[in-house]
Amino acid sequence: MDGFVSALSLTNLGFGLLGTFLGTLVGVLPGIGPALAIALLLPITYTVAPSSALIMFAAIYYGAMYGGSTTSILLNTPGESGSVMTALEGNQMARRGRAGAALATAAIGSFIAGSIATAILAFAAPEIANLAIKVGAADYVALMLVAFTTVGSLLGSSQIRGFISLAVGLVLGLVGADLQSGLTRLAFGNVSASEGIETVIVIVSIFALGEALYIASRFKDTGWTIISMKGKALMSREDWRRSWKPWLRGTAIGFPLGIIPAGGSEVPTFLSYSVEKKLSKYPGEFGKGAIEGVAGPEAANNANAAGALVPLLALGLPTSATAAVILVAFQTYQIEAGPMLFATNPDLIWTLIASLFIGNTLLLVMNLPLVRVWVQLLKIPRPYLFAGISCFALLGAYALNGSIFDLQVALAIGVVGFLFRRFGMPITPLILGLILGPNLELQFRRALQISAGDYGTLIATPLSKILYTSLILVLVAPIVIKLVKKSRVKTVK
Amino acid sequence: MGSLLLLGLIVIWDTSRTELPNLKIAVSPNLFPYLIGYFLVILCVILAIQIIRGGTAVPEGLEAGDKIEKSDYKTFAYVLLSFISYLVLITRGGFVVASTVVFVGIAYSFGNRKFVKTLLIGLIFAAVTYFSFTRYLHVDLPAGILKGIL
Repeated sequence: MDGFVSALSLTNLGFGLLGTFLGTLVGVLPGIGPALAIALLLPITYTVAPSSALIMFAAIYYGAMYGGSTTSILLNTPGESGSVMTALEGNQMARRGRAGAALATAAIGSFIAGSIATAILAFAAPEIANLAIKVGAADYVALMLVAFTTVGSLLGSSQIRGFISLAVGLVLGLVGADLQSGLTRLAFGNVSASEGIETVIVIVSIFALGEALYIASRFKDTGWTIISMKGKALMSREDWRRSWKPWLRGTAIGFPLGIIPAGGSEVPTFLSYSVEKKLSKYPGEFGKGAIEGVAGPEAANNANAAGALVPLLALGLPTSATAAVILVAFQTYQIEAGPMLFATNPDLIWTLIASLFIGNTLLLVMNLPLVRVWVQLLKIPRPYLFAGISCFALLGAYALNGSIFDLQVALAIGVVGFLFRRFGMPITPLILGLILGPNLELQFRRALQISAGDYGTLIATPLSKILYTSLILVLVAPIVIKLVKKSRVKTVK
Repeated sequence: MGSLLLLGLIVIWDTSRTELPNLKIAVSPNLFPYLIGYFLVILCVILAIQIIRGGTAVPEGLEAGDKIEKSDYKTFAYVLLSFISYLVLITRGGFVVASTVVFVGIAYSFGNRKFVKTLLIGLIFAAVTYFSFTRYLHVDLPAGILKGIL
């Protein structure tokens, strides 16, 4: 309860409001997502109090979900990856003059899912943190390897590209002085490089500069066609009747998948969509604007976002790009996210969780009546939009340390970001590799130091055994299924 | 593709040439670089096999099977040049100058041809950012040649 009091203080409420505003903004505008927005705002961590900054970041995180659904429905261009499924049915509804109902079911569904999921988060996270205190270094190694594998193999079009992205991130994480031995790695005699590559710079440049370069090389002339919205964002009684079950089912699918490192919001929204399609009484409407197909994935998306905060807060383990950036924010405040967080900074955590409830309510209020205002934003000409984003990204890269070397790194990473997009490599694994790589090495060494160099320690605990088994299953299962299918086809022939 | 293989080899090469400090630690600081380097090389080989067998890359935003248009490298070069100009101008010309140049440069690359209007918008944008960061967020940005005015 103290959390609510603190979150409702004028400063924090102000930052929360600003965050919901910015979050919706970046969600609405295609090409910039919450990860980039937070990364660009990381410089404020130098001057703003931790609780205010984190409240704002969390609000951006939630806000982007709401904004993303608006563009999906009205423009058929998902503003962020979790809205891809919403675009399927939502845009069809808009084309049939039901944009208002689609927007309403998306916003209300997001609100309900977000509230339920945040409530579970409030109860579950401390419990998990309690358990997590007993989690040793070897278990952390296993957890991170599982996170790497799932994120690497689930995102993007091909497993191999996901893993390559991960490996490049790991290499970037290696650059600089090794913490334990002081040995400089991969710096090639450059003094600035020996201090390592700043995570923030990589994130800002790979998203913003990479995106600008990619769009420049490809879709320069593509404009947007906005479907105009008639009437208010309201739902009929029939819409309510058809929406509430998908909302709850979406929440049930999204939250657990957020907790386990399943690689962001694509999987849960896709699952929710297929479930609704199967269970629907009106399967014929799917593909032509079925409201269940908007309600379910939207709820799943928001519940998933809240779920991803559980491992982030309780274990210090991010499972999506946005969570990874929030983790960086914790690090700049010298706050260690993880099991000890609830003991060392209870005020901060409870304020943050309370602010999620408040932010969610603010978002519902802001989004339903103000949806037209947001749509107006899409009229900003694209040249100005990308010029502005690029300027901010360069500013972010430079202002961090005021160093030219950082800018050079940013440019190089921007080009890498371009190449990744051009050749279909997902970017999130790179970010996770960069952030978790050094962490993995640290825990790995810690485990081996405790065991005096005995590698058996890595699989000695029950948890690590379970994790490695599931890891092998995740990797091997698709191959086995393929082989079985092949042999079946053969026997049939 | 080739560049990725190169990256992997560089990692292995750099690791192999570093001399180990004579410390007693359980895990050598070279273990991870070696693992990652080999990991990358192995992945590259698999990717190469996939590409040869027909699994070419699909650019983001397209579906497999869509026609892949040739990249517009001219626009790409404009944008990249704008970025590089920032690098050159930030200390010599100051933040406002550098940002305005990048703003105009990128707007131009994206097809905007209204120079005066863009210049004004870029200037206002840069100035507002400059003031809000230096005054309110206390982030130091170089004033550069406009030091007297700002």
